[in-house]
Amino acid sequence: MLTCNDLTVAYGDIVALHGVNITVKAGETVALIGANGAGKTTLLQTISGLNKVKSGDIVFESSSLATIPSERRVRLGIAHAPEGRRIFPGLTVEENLSLATAPWRRWSQSIADDLGRVFDLFPRLKERRRQLGWSLSGGEQQMLAIGRALMARPRILLLDEPSLGLAPRLAEEVYERVKLIGEAGMTILVVEQNTVLALAVANRGYVLETGRVVLEGAAKDLKQNSRVREAYLGR
Amino acid sequence: MSIRTLLGLVAILVIGGALSLVLSDYSLRLMNLAVVSAVAVIGLNFAFGYSGLISLGHSAFAGLSAYCVAILTTKLGLSPWVAMPVAIIATALSAALIGYPLLRLKGHYLALATLGFNVSFTIVAINWLDLTGGTNGIAGIPHLSVAGYELSDERSFLWFALISLTLVAAAAAAIHRSRHGRAMIAVRDDEIAAAMAGIDVTGVKVAAFTLAGTCAAIAGCLFATHIRFVAPEDFNYAHSITYLAMLIVGGEGSIAGAIIGAVVLTFLPEWLRVLGDAYLLFFGLMMLVILVILPTGIVGLVRRISLKRRSPGDETTNVPARAGAHS
Repeated sequence: MLTCNDLTVAYGDIVALHGVNITVKAGETVALIGANGAGKTTLLQTISGLNKVKSGDIVFESSSLATIPSERRVRLGIAHAPEGRRIFPGLTVEENLSLATAPWRRWSQSIADDLGRVFDLFPRLKERRRQLGWSLSGGEQQMLAIGRALMARPRILLLDEPSLGLAPRLAEEVYERVKLIGEAGMTILVVEQNTVLALAVANRGYVLETGRVVLEGAAKDLKQNSRVREAYLGR
Repeated sequence: MSIRTLLGLVAILVIGGALSLVLSDYSLRLMNLAVVSAVAVIGLNFAFGYSGLISLGHSAFAGLSAYCVAILTTKLGLSPWVAMPVAIIATALSAALIGYPLLRLKGHYLALATLGFNVSFTIVAINWLDLTGGTNGIAGIPHLSVAGYELSDERSFLWFALISLTLVAAAAAAIHRSRHGRAMIAVRDDEIAAAMAGIDVTGVKVAAFTLAGTCAAIAGCLFATHIRFVAPEDFNYAHSITYLAMLIVGGEGSIAGAIIGAVVLTFLPEWLRVLGDAYLLFFGLMMLVILVILPTGIVGLVRRISLKRRSPGDETTNVPARAGAHS
């Protein structure tokens, strides 16, 4: 469904990704793990069109994304819940959610249905639907960011560090939902520093180090891999 | 339309109408100026309040439209009713045209570029003698007449201006509540997240800037048919700064705030005339105090007081955040 071919991305002279090859097949959950500065966020941002590609290509459902601006990629079905949540503090929960579809889809029953589905998944958001974004807790903001991405009716969901800054119990709660979303058939590419959580929900995984893929494989194999265990699982 | 919006609109007409019956002619003239400013500041609220685009060239759009009306009525002899729509459309188009390249800039760069636009406008108005009459301006703009009745005195013009303000405020409220209004606030709060949510960020900015220009154009039409004389200094950059000050004093991101700010800053110099030249010092200090203590303006203060009464110590109530980073 999504393939990165020999992708190289640079910020000025600093090369962030060196010829990265990644494939995500329909229906699977893929984890991208690695330390700070490995290029994980850069890769997700490049897929959603926020960074320029230096060389290589991103192919989504057998067509190249090279010339497509980021807002069009959302409409094609690539939704991104960004690092640090980035919800809109001046809009209510409901407005934050409906925004993600409303610019190109008129308010209609279908949006109300989508809202209902997000509220079923995150009942806490329903309780707080009239509250402004900034007044939510970190966990609620993360749920809102994921919910907002789902509102775009994506074909693939990009999640950037959903556990960032959350208490362990909350991070687990968020990941339980990610698992549910994946089990419902969604294709997910999740970037995560919390390797235990990410590998628990993923089918496959890639390990990124200083802009290169150094390891890839099924999640259960990666969990057993000595290099992963030493570097990321602390055992 | 919500009940609160409806009440607000009725309040404009009732309060303004009642005042129009009791005020002196001089105060009525000030009221007219305040209402014209309010229309312009509601426009600025689209750019600055909702979308976070700082504009120091707002007055130039009012000027563009006012000059259009002046030229079309005095040189071509058109009726103001024909000239005004032409002026509004022409100004809206130029706002879109200017906005497209300028809105690539952010923060203080955008402020400087729009300021430059305003200064250029004044220079052109002063020097294009054949068309604009230079510093002498253009006099003799005809009165507006409605159904054979000429709006030649302050009171009848105020009624017309109040109705215009009400219509502009109603349209602005409708846009604020629509998906377009939400998209503007999203762009203000976080451009990258807005793009990730599928919003065409450049398109939203140009639309907000054009809406701002359109409201300024309506204000320019009102100005031209009220004063019936236009000159370059009526639209110099100092007026743009005053519009911005009105929006901040009233409360950015709020239509009521735009109106209150316009009224307060029009009447304040009159009420404080005893201060003489010290008024500027007072004004400067007042702006400082508002920015530091009341970042959400008069409207924010009222809202905070009413919330405190309703639910003391409740942290989950909807106090709007200061409009985020305007960078």
